[in-house]
Amino acid sequence: MSRRKMFLRMITASLLRRRSRMIVALLSIGIGATILSGLVTIYYDVPRQMGAQFRSYGANMLLVGDGETPLTTETASAALDAIPAENVIGATPYRYVSVQMVKRQQSFVAAGTDFEQVTRTSPYFSVDGRYPENHREVLVGKEVADAIGVKLNSIMELTYKPEETTGGERSEIRPGDRIAGSAEGWGGGLVYVTAELDEEMKIASLTVNADTQTEEIGGQCAEANYTNRFIGRAFPPEEKDADVVSGATLTSRAVLSALQTAVPVSKTAAVQTGNTLNLTVVGILQTGGEEEGYVFLSQSDMAALTGEEGKIDVMELSVSASAEELEGYAEAITGEGSGVLARLVKRVTKSETAVLAKLQALVFLVTVVVLLLTMICVSTTMMAVVTERRKEIGLRKALGASDNGIRAEFLGEGMFLGALGGLLGAALGFGFAQVVSVNVFGSSITFQPLLLPVTVVVSMVIAALSCLLPIKRAVQIDPALVLKGE
Amino acid sequence: MLFRMIRGALFRQRGKMLLIAFTIALGASLATAMLNVMLDVGDKVNQELKTYGANITVKPKDSSLLSDIYNVEDDGEAIQQSYLREDELGKIKTIFWAFNIVDFAPFLETQAALPDGSSAKVTGTWFNHHMDLPTGEQLDAGVASMRSWWDMTEGGWLDEQKDEDRNAVLVGKTLAEQLGLHAGDTLTLAGRAETKEAVVRGIFDAGGDEDGQIYAPLDFVQSLAALEGKVATIEVSALTTPDNDLARRAAQNPNALSTKDYETWYCTAYVSAICYQIQEVITNSVASAVRQVAESEGTILDKTQLLMILITALSLIGSALGISNLVTASVMERSQEIGLLKAIGAHDGPITGLFMSEILLTALGGGIAGYFLGFGFAQLIGHSVFGSAVEMKPMVIPIVAVLIALVTIAGSMPAIRMVLRLDPAEVLHGSKA
Repeated sequence: MSRRKMFLRMITASLLRRRSRMIVALLSIGIGATILSGLVTIYYDVPRQMGAQFRSYGANMLLVGDGETPLTTETASAALDAIPAENVIGATPYRYVSVQMVKRQQSFVAAGTDFEQVTRTSPYFSVDGRYPENHREVLVGKEVADAIGVKLNSIMELTYKPEETTGGERSEIRPGDRIAGSAEGWGGGLVYVTAELDEEMKIASLTVNADTQTEEIGGQCAEANYTNRFIGRAFPPEEKDADVVSGATLTSRAVLSALQTAVPVSKTAAVQTGNTLNLTVVGILQTGGEEEGYVFLSQSDMAALTGEEGKIDVMELSVSASAEELEGYAEAITGEGSGVLARLVKRVTKSETAVLAKLQALVFLVTVVVLLLTMICVSTTMMAVVTERRKEIGLRKALGASDNGIRAEFLGEGMFLGALGGLLGAALGFGFAQVVSVNVFGSSITFQPLLLPVTVVVSMVIAALSCLLPIKRAVQIDPALVLKGE
Repeated sequence: MLFRMIRGALFRQRGKMLLIAFTIALGASLATAMLNVMLDVGDKVNQELKTYGANITVKPKDSSLLSDIYNVEDDGEAIQQSYLREDELGKIKTIFWAFNIVDFAPFLETQAALPDGSSAKVTGTWFNHHMDLPTGEQLDAGVASMRSWWDMTEGGWLDEQKDEDRNAVLVGKTLAEQLGLHAGDTLTLAGRAETKEAVVRGIFDAGGDEDGQIYAPLDFVQSLAALEGKVATIEVSALTTPDNDLARRAAQNPNALSTKDYETWYCTAYVSAICYQIQEVITNSVASAVRQVAESEGTILDKTQLLMILITALSLIGSALGISNLVTASVMERSQEIGLLKAIGAHDGPITGLFMSEILLTALGGGIAGYFLGFGFAQLIGHSVFGSAVEMKPMVIPIVAVLIALVTIAGSMPAIRMVLRLDPAEVLHGSKA
């Protein structure tokens, strides 16, 4: 029988014969390894998982236009390519316009948005009722609802007045432009016009929305046999161009002055005749912030209201990334030169970095303290198990075994137990980390492949170290004394 | 006799008993440290989350809509008809949950003409306001700590306690660039009622709309707009308990709750309860939770606490198994002694009693040492992570005591009984166990 075979047999035989003690030792190493692998896995995964929780604070990056190129859903989505798709939790476009509530001279801000994305970027929105899902539905901020007394299922009639231009800031109208304007008609109600110009600055087409006017009188101004009179006239039309419709002087004058003060609008806009929408209130929004003073429409309703497809003012992004990564993304987007600027919401990013760092430090320290204490616990148990075998050591020495041989055997036994306990613990620890992750964060944890060998090696080293001290003491003692039991 | 035997065992086998006591002390300290940290982590993290700013805003009852909605038109002259009273601000610190109010600051906004002909929003607020409360307490409150994300790119925060800062302002980064202002410059602000000269104490970068605004002491803005003693909004930063069903029901209408529920709600630091109590002390006010902050705080607190509970459970199980393991090993090691006692005629009862008392005495010593060691570890974590001490929770002591006792008994009893069942002859002969 070779030495190696004998060695192996001695180790396994001692493990088998002294089953109960070995189980105690194995169990103790197993616990240590479980805690090690479980806590380290959690420690590595906590920043990612906690970071996702912090996204409940809402958007941490904004995409805005640079003031020259208008921001659209397309340009914003193209800019998003700079950020890995799996890190983008939500991207919500917002188009803000000032709207009026028909029959009440009250104006407020309407936001056109994508409600599916809203639930991702602003999970803290609390909606009494539901988010709009169909056409012509509206979500109303609580303050607006309280102020104008709308309730769920009431109908809101909203009118869009194109941005009023003031003084000399009027944008220049060029041949081929599409223009839109509004002016006060009879009784203060607004009359809206949209027109197209040809290459010679003549009016090529004209649509009038006179829904606020008396149907039989002012309403005539919206009909083709009135609007056709403007076709072919030079823009801007002069007073002599406007034939007054009998009985509807104010309305026809309004059409004229709306045309005279009209501003260019996006060429891609579909021809819209109705700038007034009837919307059903399906939800009341509560946030405790300024959003309560807005009404929210779907993007398609917003396009119908403004006649501008795809134009947005801002895109709110909720990105799961560290502060440095976010800055990198923002620079990449702004640096592209596509006219899209990325801004970080400092309040959210800075605070998140601060709090997350604390939480990570907490888990780190807890891990260190728990590991330290557990490892000492494990080694005391191992020491107790080995100390108990002093008699055996003495007997072997009396029979002529060398000190080194005894040391090697005991170390081998300890390391074997360490390896076994380490494997067991690595599996159990991962299971524990998984339970924690699923319960706390509702998502599964990533397996750290490196942790398996690390756990096994650490367990072996601790087992070996804790065997070493008692063996050393036992070996030093005279076998006669040990065997005598003193 | 029993006493002498126990004492003998404890002293003669000092090494072994010390090892057991040491292990128990480690287990107990682990349990103590984790329980203390776990019980305090909610408060600590809550405190950290205050960096996100106020979680409650207080506005006058009827004008909240006017300022928010009509200001959107940006004509700057939107008149807010009603205001809160500055002299009532101290009352916020007298509500039931006053202790949970970390910080608060009043705000008053006005529009002022700038030297270059444009106009900017000037916000009056407290920076580090000092006030004496009617209760005799003193209070320092203001935005300096509620706007932790502001970077001062030039100069610094203004100090309300200093006389020269009475007419000082902080200017937003964008506006400062537009006007070419630097810290130390003088700026003339023409308000609705008065024109005042102000020293630019600092330039801040807030990363938001504030970058185009001016922040000034409250009374400076009050005289600028002729609104002495008036305040438009108050932001309150409070430590709150995450909302549950009761809190949600109460937020709808507190009066619809049963008396018992109402009391539970009122006496819990729910954000809705604190809002309600603020409304009680500030005349004609509406306090509402800023859901972006309040809701997210709740989520993160819940998650952190759950995480700590699970880690604590793991460490408790770990230390329990570790202790009982060692105790089992130490009993089995002494099987020959048990065999000898049986051989000379000792009954099972006294033997169990003897061994149990020995081990429990050791456990008591180890447990007490472990408690203090663990408390030390908890402080170490508290100071290095949160920079403040972890509060000593008395309930940890009985929990750890019961845990250690149970674990020691559970670890030793089965082992003792197993050894007792063996034939003394075999045990002494050394062929079993």
